[in-house]
Amino acid sequence: MNSVASFTVPSVTHAAVNAGDLTDKVTIRNLDFFYGDNRALKDINVSLYNGKVTAFIGPSGCGKSTLLRVLNRMYDLYPNQRATGDVSLDNENILDPAQDLNLLRAKVGMVFQKPTPFPMTIYENIAFGIRLYEKLPKSELDGRVQRALERAALWNEVKDKLGANGQSLSGGQQQRLCIARTVAVRPEVILLDEPCSALDPISTAKIEELIDELKEDYTLVIVTHNMQQAARVSDYTAFMYLGELVEFGETAKIFTKPDDRRTQDYITGRFG
Amino acid sequence: MADIAYEGGALSATETVDRAKVLRRLRLGDSAFRHITRVAAISVLIILSGIILSLVYGAWPAMQTFGISFLFDESWNPVTERFGAIAPIYGTVLTSLIAMLIAVPIGLFIALFLTELCPMWLRRPIGVAIELLAGIPSIIYGIWGLFVFAPFLQQHVQPFLIDLFGPIPILNNLFAGPPYGIGILTAGLILAIMVLPFITSISRDVFEAVPPVLKEAAYGLGCTTWEVARYVVLPYTRVGVIGGVMLGLGRALGETMAVTFVIGNAHRISGSILAPGTTISATIANEFTEAVGDIYTSSLIMLGLILFCITFIVLAFARLMLMRLNARVGA
Repeated sequence: MNSVASFTVPSVTHAAVNAGDLTDKVTIRNLDFFYGDNRALKDINVSLYNGKVTAFIGPSGCGKSTLLRVLNRMYDLYPNQRATGDVSLDNENILDPAQDLNLLRAKVGMVFQKPTPFPMTIYENIAFGIRLYEKLPKSELDGRVQRALERAALWNEVKDKLGANGQSLSGGQQQRLCIARTVAVRPEVILLDEPCSALDPISTAKIEELIDELKEDYTLVIVTHNMQQAARVSDYTAFMYLGELVEFGETAKIFTKPDDRRTQDYITGRFG
Repeated sequence: MADIAYEGGALSATETVDRAKVLRRLRLGDSAFRHITRVAAISVLIILSGIILSLVYGAWPAMQTFGISFLFDESWNPVTERFGAIAPIYGTVLTSLIAMLIAVPIGLFIALFLTELCPMWLRRPIGVAIELLAGIPSIIYGIWGLFVFAPFLQQHVQPFLIDLFGPIPILNNLFAGPPYGIGILTAGLILAIMVLPFITSISRDVFEAVPPVLKEAAYGLGCTTWEVARYVVLPYTRVGVIGGVMLGLGRALGETMAVTFVIGNAHRISGSILAPGTTISATIANEFTEAVGDIYTSSLIMLGLILFCITFIVLAFARLMLMRLNARVGA
């Protein structure tokens, strides 16, 4: 325990950015997270900027996914998991116990490591999420489903088999279906938890392309083990290690001249 | 054998021979294993067809005497030796139907509560209680039903039902007549209690097998717990849930002792579910010792054959339902 304390960085190094056109979508202040007594996140302070892609990198178990699960309060499903501190989405503290979780999760969509199509048809996989919030006539619903599938670059591949089961698609298609499903409910933030780790290179390329397009409309947060991927798709990168946020800054800077020695070691593959 | 030792000269001649021996022994063991499993599987078919054959053989005199009308005749008269199966068939189907109408929703709700909502510390006590419920012998349900449950129904529940539905057409026929306590409804309720643990524990097991990430994905869209249960958990587990329901239905159709105690054993069809009736298994259990004539015995065996057929039809129906569910989700 104490060895960690002696290892702390002075403060998180925020890259110098021209703050003019950057607004905080999500602001995380003094965030701690506990699995029972185990402190998995230690005093995290970071901002996720509106309309940007922020990547979280770091070795396994460093708390990247945990941080992501705080942003839509997914941890609430499990007993003995709790977060303290302040996480605000558009200046509203989402850690507030009075926060409406369904509403929060409608605003903060999530795509998981493994594709998770629901046990229903392709069409229903998309329409299901829309119906949770809006009562639309069939024709309008059809349009929304089509646009979501187009958005996820999946429409051409599935337009002739919308009645087939979502689980009958290939892994890469399933993952794009999940992205389409997330986009269809019109969130503001999309969390991607290692979205490509179960996919082949071609599917990965398609999803990375998609992330690039999505950032026009959404604030994206991606957790990845693949540093090339972080470098390719993100505008900002945060390096986490042992539950701490070591360094945060513009992706180009993090990957070319990081301030912290540990970041340097990690991105050059000297430890992990 | 040659291909075993093909790689270079690493193996000497004697070693090669030893390996051949070992492999021969293994192959012998494997083929024995194959034959044993096959015999075990085939024995099921032999036993099943043996039962069917002996039922048909035993029921043959009744079939010849009454023909197809046996299925539709309401009379059951040992003195004139005129027998018909419609009353016990009706009782069997109706009591099971009542049992399933009550036990399926309650069982599914218990299972959903246990897997999705229940705090950890309460899970085990409820789970153990359900398993204990499954372990109670049917004779206990029978005497409890006759001495405790039926009088309770007679005094408190049935008069209320009769008053409640009295003014409503159609339903007043269903709940007509004096409150006997025993009868079709009582048997259905006892059966519901008896099959509840089966449906609950099987549903709970299959609900627990739903990948957490799939539920998280649904919660991640903003689903409520009910929506996750209804649109993700239940469709994902449909095969297992229907299996559990069918297991419960199988037990309800065949249950003998508890039903015999509380159904009243009357060979007639009444429009009211408060009236006494009988089921196939209750009839057989009650009358086998006193069945003296050949036709009487044969008619009872015929009833057994009919119960067998009903179970078969139910299983086929389950398959059909599963196919339709699969078609709906595009699988």
